Amino acid sequence: MKKYSSTIVLAVCLLILSACSLFVGVIDVEAGDLLTGDLKSLEIFLISRLPRLLAILCTGAGMSTAGLIMQQLCQNKFVSPTTGATISSAQLGILIALLFMPSSTLGSRAVFAFLAAVLGTWIFVWFIQRIPFKDAVMVPLVGIMFGNVIGGITNYLAYKYEMTQTLSTWLVGHFSAVLRGRYEIVYLTAPLILLAFLFANHFNIVGMGKDFSRNLGVPYNLVLFMGLTIAAMITASIVVVVGSISYIGLVVPNIVSMFKGDKIRGTLADTALFGALFVLVCDLIGRTVIAPYELPIELIVGILGSLLFILLLFHRLRHGRKAPKIQWPLLKGGAR
Amino acid sequence: MKPAAYKKNQKKLFMLLLLALLVTAAYLTIGVQFDNPKLFRYAMKIRIPKAAAMLITAISIGGASIVFQSIINNTIVTPCLLGMNSLYTLIHTAVVFAAGSGSILAVNANLAFAADLVLMGITATAVYGYLFRKTKHNILYVLLVGTVLSSFFSSIQSAMTRIMDPNEYDALLASLTASFSSINSEILLFALLLMIILTFVLRKELALLDVLTLGKDQAVNLGVDYDRCIRRLLLGVTLFIAIATAMVGPISFLGLIIANLARQFLKTYRHSQLIWGSALFGMVILIGGQLMVERVYSYSIPVSVFITIGGGLYFLYLLLTRRRVSSCL
Amino acid sequence: MFVKDLIKKYDGKTVVDSVSFQLPEKSVISMIGPNGAGKSTVLNILSRLIARDSGVVDFQGTDITKWKSRELSKRLAILTQQNNIQMKLTVRELVAFGRFPYSGSRITPEDDAVIDRAISYMELDDFRDRFIDELSGGQRQRAYIAMVIAQDTEYILLDEPTNNLDIYHATNMMKIVRRLCDELGKTVILVLHEINYAAFYSDYICAFAEGRIVKFGTVKEVMTRENLSRIYGVDFEIMEVSGKPLSIYY
Repeated sequence: MKKYSSTIVLAVCLLILSACSLFVGVIDVEAGDLLTGDLKSLEIFLISRLPRLLAILCTGAGMSTAGLIMQQLCQNKFVSPTTGATISSAQLGILIALLFMPSSTLGSRAVFAFLAAVLGTWIFVWFIQRIPFKDAVMVPLVGIMFGNVIGGITNYLAYKYEMTQTLSTWLVGHFSAVLRGRYEIVYLTAPLILLAFLFANHFNIVGMGKDFSRNLGVPYNLVLFMGLTIAAMITASIVVVVGSISYIGLVVPNIVSMFKGDKIRGTLADTALFGALFVLVCDLIGRTVIAPYELPIELIVGILGSLLFILLLFHRLRHGRKAPKIQWPLLKGGAR
Repeated sequence: MKPAAYKKNQKKLFMLLLLALLVTAAYLTIGVQFDNPKLFRYAMKIRIPKAAAMLITAISIGGASIVFQSIINNTIVTPCLLGMNSLYTLIHTAVVFAAGSGSILAVNANLAFAADLVLMGITATAVYGYLFRKTKHNILYVLLVGTVLSSFFSSIQSAMTRIMDPNEYDALLASLTASFSSINSEILLFALLLMIILTFVLRKELALLDVLTLGKDQAVNLGVDYDRCIRRLLLGVTLFIAIATAMVGPISFLGLIIANLARQFLKTYRHSQLIWGSALFGMVILIGGQLMVERVYSYSIPVSVFITIGGGLYFLYLLLTRRRVSSCL
Repeated sequence: MFVKDLIKKYDGKTVVDSVSFQLPEKSVISMIGPNGAGKSTVLNILSRLIARDSGVVDFQGTDITKWKSRELSKRLAILTQQNNIQMKLTVRELVAFGRFPYSGSRITPEDDAVIDRAISYMELDDFRDRFIDELSGGQRQRAYIAMVIAQDTEYILLDEPTNNLDIYHATNMMKIVRRLCDELGKTVILVLHEINYAAFYSDYICAFAEGRIVKFGTVKEVMTRENLSRIYGVDFEIMEVSGKPLSIYY
């Protein structure tokens, strides 16, 4: 049972915090009111609070799973939707949808976002596989710049067609627009995560390299592109609803793998749970700091995530490629 | 005795200067009605400060980028790529945040600028000094951490702005950060003065730049007080970046483009020429770009968008074609 | 120049352990020893590139850290192993930097004469306008030596000058070292890995092991079976070739 203890601890924490999250907000909703059948409370609960919680959970679990898949497939700890041009491609897709179909629904926007995200990620991975990198750090650097260029093109189009105002909704991710009827696409992440779990071993094998997987009879290219597609679709379905959420896909899998190793089957559940927990905590912070207003989730995640990422980089520089499973390395790194 | 290459470069620089002057003249005069003195004066009143701000920006960023590259002995890194401009924007916001949006610091641009500069000098040298020490000058890590730092600073800045005034967030953000459409012309004179003073104070260190290119060991061998020299130059770089950012807002890739263009164009180690080359390229690109934006796109797209796209591609090109990028620490 | 009780630690590990010696003037002194014996560290401390933890480094009556850097650079030059320059620099421009301690960035006609002499001395006349990064390893090393010659110092410190050179260029480098001492009257201190180069071309050998000096003396005094076996931990034979002791190890 010891193998699952971390998973259980994470799940319990998540449950408790989820319950807290439901009762934090501008209008007080008490548990008693719900039980006694207070209609107004129930309405707020069903229209706003519950969708928000579900969106948060999907976002956290989805982004970190997408990051984990990408890292496994590319065999590089620093690849993620943020550093692999996936998020910026999805945004470009949304903008194109808005340009060509001004009256587009969430569904058709999502289709465009899917296509663009998948294409952008494919191109990026195809690109980095073509170049033999001596240093693993080069890959995220190229990815960030690639994302920058795509972001620049998005900006260009937005300015040209006077859509900057609309675009800003997707540039800084936030949960405040998540209401019943306007967010359900984010549920797509759940089956996709399940799919990722089913193919976990395949991803592991493909991560070992082309020859290795051929030896085991696993079709390398097929699995690689299927995995990337899953990751890109998870990302796109979140970006369409919430907007850009950076660093989760980068930081969460790295932290989990420090403690649990790199076997994807063993870490996937923990990664998804920890990701959800991380976003939930960030959301609680964002909602309480300047209540009754709220800070967009992207800002909180951006601050915490980038800080954690820098600590991870320093840690790696000190301890080398193999992230050692020493006790609480991050705390040690942070205390200095 | 000056070698032939030096004279050839002087000629190249002269041509570049002519081009810069031509572009500036075009920017000032195209579309202006000379026969109507009132309209003419009005146009000049708007365009001259803008052109002056862009000239100062070009010199600041061009000079700072070349100096910074020589300090850390790598031509692919520029201060703006490491987030120095985001840090300045953050500091500026923090100053207004701490003082309150009704205070004298929020109203008096020059006073706020002075406060920003002091804070920037202290914070930036501390942060980036720490970054170089901690990464042991491993250039890829410096770059990656710098890029992430950049988004870290802007996230904090954005959060701070929202906390200050959640309702008027957009308006406040626009008033806090300068941009090409709203150039901060109040501090023009102050900035110009500061640039002259800084150049004068740092004249000895600037003269040492050629020797610093040889690397730390050789510089020490030749009798340079290396650590002190680097400290002072780094402080100078941060202040020059502060000047540029305060004036026209953050433009991350300009330094990378113009510094490398100057190096490729002049193929020399002489910093007197490199700095001028870089500054002149900056003038041509900035003012030429702005001219194009105003005339062709009728103001709809800020020039920084073009610089970001072009600069990003250029950076990828440099990163992927330099075989020795990681060995040149 | 003498050194007394020099100590240097890295992360609590002592890499230089109470090293003391007196350097004879106008001679070639080679520092030898296995990897990590501390010889390069000592050389770098002698040249102020690395700070020591304790001890004394006396140079012409004044401690090395008390010297004005500019003045010291007219008397003592160091050439380290890592010299990668990203900038476009011709051979002559590089050598001209040797005059920096004297004239700053303004080269006088006298400096020009010194620079040209240094280039000729290193037989680099044909390469003077070539860029440094276009030269072969041996040529580049010679260009750096030419810069040190232009620096015109009494002492020259070289950290593994034969590293990464083939036999032809390495041997030439050692001959140059010998000429620097015999013809120009310099004191040359160098770190070497190749024992026989040290034996053949130097006057004195300073042998290091585990941060300490095992033996410092003339070539004949140091090059014995017992000494070398103790330093390197393998068996040695000493042979005499044209009056110099050479070693064979297996």
